[in-house]
Amino acid sequence: MKLKQLGWRKIALGAAAVGLGLAALAHATNYTLWVNGRTGGGQLGNYADFTYWGPAGTAAGVNKKAVNWDGYNSISNQNYLVRNALDCYCTGSNWCYIGAHSAGNLQVGYTLAMYGGSSRTITNASPNSSGVCGASGTGTQTGWNIKWVDIAGGAAGGSELADAGSWALSEPLVSDLKTSTSRAMYDHNQTRGKIFYMFAGAKGTLYSGILPGQDDEAIAYHSSGGVSGSSGGSYCNASDWFCNDLTMGTAANEGGRAKWTNHNVQFRDNNEAYNHYTNGGWGGIVSRAVADMVANAQ
Amino acid sequence: MPSSDSAARPRAPRRWLIALLLIAAAGIGGGVITLKRLAFPEPPQTSPASIAALPPGVTAINGAQIQPRHPGMAQPGGPQDPLAIAAANGDPKAQEALWAQRLTRATEVLDHYREHTKYPFDSRPAREHADQMYPNQPVREEGRLVNPGQKPAPNVRIVSSQERIYVAGNETVLFTVGAVDDTGSALPLQVSRAVALDPPKDGKPSQRNSVNLPFNDEGNAGDAAAADGTWSARLSPATQGFAGHFGVIRVELTLQVGNQTGFKFFDVFYTPDPPATWIGGVREAIEAGSLNFYLKADVLRSGRYVITGRIDDAKGQPFALINFNSELAKGTQDIKLNLFGKLLVDEKPAFPLTLRDVDGFLLIPDAAPDRALMARREGKLHTSRSYPLTAFSEAEWDSEERRRYLEEYGRDVESARAHLEHVRRSMKP
Repeated sequence: MKLKQLGWRKIALGAAAVGLGLAALAHATNYTLWVNGRTGGGQLGNYADFTYWGPAGTAAGVNKKAVNWDGYNSISNQNYLVRNALDCYCTGSNWCYIGAHSAGNLQVGYTLAMYGGSSRTITNASPNSSGVCGASGTGTQTGWNIKWVDIAGGAAGGSELADAGSWALSEPLVSDLKTSTSRAMYDHNQTRGKIFYMFAGAKGTLYSGILPGQDDEAIAYHSSGGVSGSSGGSYCNASDWFCNDLTMGTAANEGGRAKWTNHNVQFRDNNEAYNHYTNGGWGGIVSRAVADMVANAQ
Repeated sequence: MPSSDSAARPRAPRRWLIALLLIAAAGIGGGVITLKRLAFPEPPQTSPASIAALPPGVTAINGAQIQPRHPGMAQPGGPQDPLAIAAANGDPKAQEALWAQRLTRATEVLDHYREHTKYPFDSRPAREHADQMYPNQPVREEGRLVNPGQKPAPNVRIVSSQERIYVAGNETVLFTVGAVDDTGSALPLQVSRAVALDPPKDGKPSQRNSVNLPFNDEGNAGDAAAADGTWSARLSPATQGFAGHFGVIRVELTLQVGNQTGFKFFDVFYTPDPPATWIGGVREAIEAGSLNFYLKADVLRSGRYVITGRIDDAKGQPFALINFNSELAKGTQDIKLNLFGKLLVDEKPAFPLTLRDVDGFLLIPDAAPDRALMARREGKLHTSRSYPLTAFSEAEWDSEERRRYLEEYGRDVESARAHLEHVRRSMKP
């Protein structure tokens, strides 16, 4: 009788465990997190405020969230906002796609290189007004659950507009965007295996004397194309005979300089049609990353 | 006695069993629905009209839209992707192309991750981190002669270098600057003003007076050759007015080439006092099929430390970048730098190996500056013993993180494949 009871208990416990496991699978959710660049504009910690990007109703990947930081202070100073968002939506059974624009590239790269292997509390994906989620009670995990990353007009390699003093040098973020500083800030090759798909615009004309090679009017190809090294360089579309090509994919660029590891040029603006700016409507080079998200972030 | 105990509370186990079975049923029900969706996906049902507006059924948490995780749902919103729009319009060929694209992406992501994570993230081939292998080489840059907010001077390029970006203790930094034309020929340059300062930041003025930092082209104070057109200056923060200053030091130059002027600046990040000090040499050990190097430090400030070392083979070729990124408590601590067994087995480096150029810092979360530097250990630090490759493990890296990722990426591939097959089946007459 006792054995029989114990047997039933075991069966019930096993069934409950399986059931809870499948329930967890059933409740797993994918999110698309968008990390803004310089100037910011969205309310910090409000994941529904897409002021920086454009209309909140625009399709931009499954369950999209705006990871707002102020776009003014330094990357490190504001990085907790990115980590808070990743803790909220990219732990436990939940997974994330990440989109980033401009200096948002530095935020994402810095986060993964510095904190990508840290212990994270698995949260309930329910943020408070500051954008902090509570613990789910299911423990911790190493790093975050990130499927891949789309980078539009990435500034992880800095901008010569910061070098030249074209932007206010008293702005903390501008100091970070100096090319030598951006590139020394962290190991850009350390993405913990996540692919960074790079979208590089080339519709720049205004600052073509300062920005080397092709640019989107704020960021040159050496940065938006993920070209490695401690300083910038001149990279162009294949049609330009007087400048090394920024190659597609992960291959080394013409002239031999490698891309950062795990960086993959997905879009190069051969028709010089995309500038750096969202124009309040997910515009410019961001529109290419959005299209990729819509197609692939499920 | 046991039977009487159970007799005393006859109904409790039944309620308990019923509750567990109900939980199980609910979970299995939800899980089965999910599994069914993965195995027998429905084609996307979204209409073109719904692409232009938010779907009414979307729930909101804290104002954010939530949709259940179900591959195949077309996105609400603007017309970004022609393929997605055509697919949402019910065009079977567009749907097939879309799912083929998704399968390609999912497969690429899975294959890449599986290959990349054969080795742990803290023990990597040097070729993956080429720009990290020589951290003490100067940073060389080239740009136009320009004043802030103005057009650059035509046919004048400024070539510069700085010995390092991050500076600690008594270290010094050499800066050089020269001018060339667009063909690379040297142009006569004058450095008419050069100062080092704690730059104003965020509306706050400098906390210290700026100091003159004279550049020269006379072969003095770090200038490599007199009258070669390259001007140089060496900054010693500890002895030039920045002792005790933790943060940015900016070196500003006013340049003149002919009748054209321009502005140039360098930034360095200075740590006057180390958060931890190195103790003694390096110990090596073969453990769990890997070669580990142990460094010892006296940790004065606890926190997350990021320590990086470089490994060369016996021919002096860069072989690996090894890294430590973890919390350290105060006191004497061992810092393990792991050279992964399979990396050694696969790459077959010539022994002995050399550990060189170790640098490290305390990472200060959410602050600027974000790091306090330990003293760099420049040059060769340790030469390993020679080992046969059979001493090392051929096993790929294994961890909960890697398994979690491979499982999820694998599910994505299978889901995309199932959707694609479903779309193709539905296209058959």
